[in-house]
Amino acid sequence: MATAVVARPVARPQPRARDEEVLVWPDLVFIEFIAAMVFTLTLFLLSYLVNAPLLDQANADVTPNPSKAPWYLLNLQELLLHMNAAMAGVIVPTVWLVIMGAFPYFDRDNEGQGQYFATENSVRITIASAIVGFVGTWGLIIWDSGKGAYLVNKWFGISGGSNLAFLESERSIQQQLPWPEWSTHIPYLPFRGVTILGQQFLNLNFPAWLVEQAIPTAVLVGFPCMLIYVLWRKGWVVTRRDVLLALFSGFVAAYGVLTLSGTAFRGQGQELVFPWELKVSEGIPGQE
Amino acid sequence: MAVETPAGPTLADKLYDKLFHNYVWKSIFRTGYPNTPRNQMLVVATNVFLHLHPTRIHRTHVKITHTYCLGGLSFFMFLGLTVTGILLMFYYVPSVERAYLDIQNIQTTVQFGQLMRNMHRWMAHAMVILVFLHMMRVFYTGAYKPPREFNWVVGVILLVLTFLLSFTGYLLPWDQLAFWAITVGTNIAGSAPVLGPKTRFWLLGGFEVGPDSLIRFYTLHVIGLPLLAAIFMAVHFWRIRRDGGLARPL
Ligand code: HEM
Repeated sequence: MATAVVARPVARPQPRARDEEVLVWPDLVFIEFIAAMVFTLTLFLLSYLVNAPLLDQANADVTPNPSKAPWYLLNLQELLLHMNAAMAGVIVPTVWLVIMGAFPYFDRDNEGQGQYFATENSVRITIASAIVGFVGTWGLIIWDSGKGAYLVNKWFGISGGSNLAFLESERSIQQQLPWPEWSTHIPYLPFRGVTILGQQFLNLNFPAWLVEQAIPTAVLVGFPCMLIYVLWRKGWVVTRRDVLLALFSGFVAAYGVLTLSGTAFRGQGQELVFPWELKVSEGIPGQE
Repeated sequence: MAVETPAGPTLADKLYDKLFHNYVWKSIFRTGYPNTPRNQMLVVATNVFLHLHPTRIHRTHVKITHTYCLGGLSFFMFLGLTVTGILLMFYYVPSVERAYLDIQNIQTTVQFGQLMRNMHRWMAHAMVILVFLHMMRVFYTGAYKPPREFNWVVGVILLVLTFLLSFTGYLLPWDQLAFWAITVGTNIAGSAPVLGPKTRFWLLGGFEVGPDSLIRFYTLHVIGLPLLAAIFMAVHFWRIRRDGGLARPL
């Protein structure tokens, strides 16, 4: 007897509810038409009122200060200020895209689809995580810019003095602590001198590694885990869907803050300034 | 006793008949004017563009607040960008000598050139925003859940392609904004471990932004990436239909 092996999809489409259906023409086509018209007219109006920017012709000898990537990459450029370049520019975004792509394979329950905030605590989780992402990201940016310590001193007259100067920003942990001489070149035993994929392993600069890789990794992994843990202890996060709600909402808030701060709050030399203090100078570095 | 005579066709009826039931019309549209449920379904099912839709959909999905039309508008931006992009291609030559001057010419001497360039630019920004918002709406309605897992993955790929399309277009005006943004952007890509420097070299066709980068970005921008995006959009739309239309509560 022959048996046929039929590949079955993980989940089948739901049967249709014919009596609940409306005709695409006119009900949907009409809405699509209106939406398209509204966008066409708005964009025509915008294009009539505001011209696309065109600066001077490209010149490799004249570096504008600050030089910025297109706005949707400024979140990465902002991250770049706080950690190792490869991490900020490539590893973090790639890992996040993979995590996001894997969402449906982590949360496989088909309960609660097709409706906004269908599960019990979803609104609370979303709002709480968005607030944490927003406040947390701004807090970290301000702290690491060194402006946090400066403002605390200016407004409240509190200063940690030179003993606590290493807490002023991430970089000061490397610069202000009395790291022993040997800690900046710890040999990579036992594979010292080994070359892996074009990179030769010789010595580890521990303070730099701590500041550029270890702490940022701890923050990027630890904070979301902590958020989910706290919401779980509170009894809000119960299902895998809830975990994703916290993760995604925190991400959207953090992503928004990073984009905004990279776009509107980074002035010359990528210093943290208010948007109204933003200036761009076009000049040859060192001769301005 | 009054004799009832059936009313003859009115002028409007005759006109309607001439317009929508003539030989030429019917050779193009197999159906009559969509004013009866039968014709309305036929028009959607037999028109190549409209048949991206099913003929009937669940009534909760036509509520604006369910999708906010975000996916549809993302696609609409893609179409608009294609049209304005083709118009810009008539005038733009991707060489270091000409690129900047061509953009200036488009703005000053080409009829409606400035308008075309502005439309292309603002639509590109709008598309990036709309695609992101679409992703948020899909997430918060839990529409990535089974059986739509793979379509969510296709979506993530489309998000990346949208960013790349916008990024490659950014260099083309060859002004200071373009040049330095791409310098910063490709430096970010270049910092990747192992593959970074190679990727950067491959993208730029050299160690820094120059003539070879311009032609590479142009080729990717006007043919490579749009083709890829179109393929993935086709898969995206096909899968929506295959997965039983939009997600709805069990
Ligand atoms: C170029 C970009 C994109 C285009 C043109 C596009 C287009 C569309 C359209 C027209 C729909 C129909 C419903 C609606 O309008 O919401 C849809 C649904 C969907 N999209 Fe996209 N999309 C894009 C990007 C994305 C992204 C970035 C994601 C997620 C990461 C995504 C995931 C989905 C899913 C899962 C559905 C099914 C929704 C449901 O069943 O309710 N798409 N898309």
